[in-house]
Amino acid sequence: MSGNNFHPQVKQLLDGEITLADLPPALRAEGEEALRLLAAVDREPVMFPGLDTRVLAKLRRRADSPSFWRRLVTPREVRLRVRPWTLVPAFAAALALVLVLVRPAPTPATSAVTVRFVLFAPDAHDVSLAGTFNQWDPAATPLVRTGSPGVWSATLTLPAGQHQYAFVVDGARWVADPGAPAVDDGFGRRNSVLSL
Amino acid sequence: MSGPEGATDGQVVRAILAGDTERYGVLVTRYRDRYARYAARMLGSRDAAEDAVQDAFVRAYDQLAQCRDPDNFVGWFFLILRNRCFAERRKSKDVAPLEAAGAIAAAERAEAPVEADERRRALQHALLELTPEQREVFVLKHVEGLSYGEIAERLKTSVPSLKMRMHRAYDRLREQLKDRP
Amino acid sequence: MKTLRAFLLLALLALVGGGTTLHAQDISARLAGRVSPEVAALVQRLATSAAARGLPVDPLIQKAIEGGAKGVPADRIAAAVRALAGQLDVAAAALTRAGPTHPDTDAIAAGAFALNAGLNDTNVTTLARVSGPRHAQGGTLRVAGTLAAMGVPAAQTVELVTQVIEAGGDSADVLALPAQVSAGVSHGRGVTPAQAAAGLARAAAARANAPGQQKPKPPHP
Repeated sequence: MSGNNFHPQVKQLLDGEITLADLPPALRAEGEEALRLLAAVDREPVMFPGLDTRVLAKLRRRADSPSFWRRLVTPREVRLRVRPWTLVPAFAAALALVLVLVRPAPTPATSAVTVRFVLFAPDAHDVSLAGTFNQWDPAATPLVRTGSPGVWSATLTLPAGQHQYAFVVDGARWVADPGAPAVDDGFGRRNSVLSL
Repeated sequence: MSGPEGATDGQVVRAILAGDTERYGVLVTRYRDRYARYAARMLGSRDAAEDAVQDAFVRAYDQLAQCRDPDNFVGWFFLILRNRCFAERRKSKDVAPLEAAGAIAAAERAEAPVEADERRRALQHALLELTPEQREVFVLKHVEGLSYGEIAERLKTSVPSLKMRMHRAYDRLREQLKDRP
Repeated sequence: MKTLRAFLLLALLALVGGGTTLHAQDISARLAGRVSPEVAALVQRLATSAAARGLPVDPLIQKAIEGGAKGVPADRIAAAVRALAGQLDVAAAALTRAGPTHPDTDAIAAGAFALNAGLNDTNVTTLARVSGPRHAQGGTLRVAGTLAAMGVPAAQTVELVTQVIEAGGDSADVLALPAQVSAGVSHGRGVTPAQAAAGLARAAAARANAPGQQKPKPPHP
């Protein structure tokens, strides 16, 4: 028995598994010491009147501002402006425009959005669109020439959410949209990001 | 768990998540003092305990969507408060001054024999010398009155490991209090 | 007795093995013809181990398919899929730190997207915490990643999203942020995405602190 350690039976007493009477006489004194220790435990209830008021005030202060952002959001048609300096001839002559035509005030139940992809590529022979929505298959979504020279387009209906994509020019050249947010594709190129 | 308003915790939580955020007040009022004493004994200071409980309620609101069992909001809230109490002790390794321990006893007791008062302060001081885990099992059993089985369920641990922790706590407390009258 | 034991053992193996075999078949079906067998085998291994850690598996498969479609050499695809698995791990850890419960796979995938876009793990933890009960972590992280991809520096991305949420914005307001930053860039002269974002953040902060807002009660004496 270590000098400072309670005897295992006294620990059972402390745990409430036995009573003082169950201890052998040699351990009575130690048992009484242990019970005095427990008697010194402060079990007074503690209360924090006013704490709920403070918590709610703090949360209300964060939640009370009216949602003024909504006014800026209601025109739901988004047009990306053509940037003239990107109209560089030859190799980099692909300019992409993505027009997102969104149904007015989509509710959570609406899950599909119609998107028109436009690419200015006057020297291309064929252009297609590849992305997460078509398993990156360059053959799946060809763009067609529009009335304007050098302008190609395709219209898709895509599920709401986030998509990554790129244009494929002449079956070999992968071109990201210079106007759209771009992320590293992990293969040394960039993918464009579309959020619907 | 139902309260005076009649709505269960689960009903209130789901209403809040559906947008009726004002109803969080029901939960705060319902459980405002539930773990006040636990926090006070764990931290050794009433002020620190009040801050911890307040922070825990704010944090619980922020993460309400992640409460997996809304009908057991109070159990989930306890864990948030517990983490906050443990973090507090990690930050300030200094033992809370004896005055703070005494303040708890003095503020909540009208008149008591000086000797008993002194013994309470000494034990609270000794408790703060334990590790947070040892202090917690002691507080939950001997202050909050839970059984080993109830503590084991709440802390997701086993009764034998709790007993080992507690018995070590008993020995360290005895050592701390040995030199006092 | 021996036959019975053997039969029970086989039955047990079938039960245990059945689940994993089906999972592996899903992956190999999706990769068939799109990547080399070696890459397919690697993706299966990484996906199985990722799933065991609670990570989403789909991003790994998608990345391999993307590499195959782009005609990328097998070792480059393998490197990219491994890197993505690493980002999913970092994102999961960052979300766990925002605690207290396990993050869902959508949030982890969104966190990895945000990391890839240029945010760091501390940013991810902060954004997850700021999301609170009213915003899905995945949505917040996707918006933040998009802003970073637009060129808004990480610190300002976090600042802007935080200000909008704390000013009481709802999920539609958060989702609209990339379009607003883009509008700010197009309409201004020489306005960078960083400047457009900073302007929006200042406006949100001003809104939250405007006079006439309900002020908090002074602390209980």
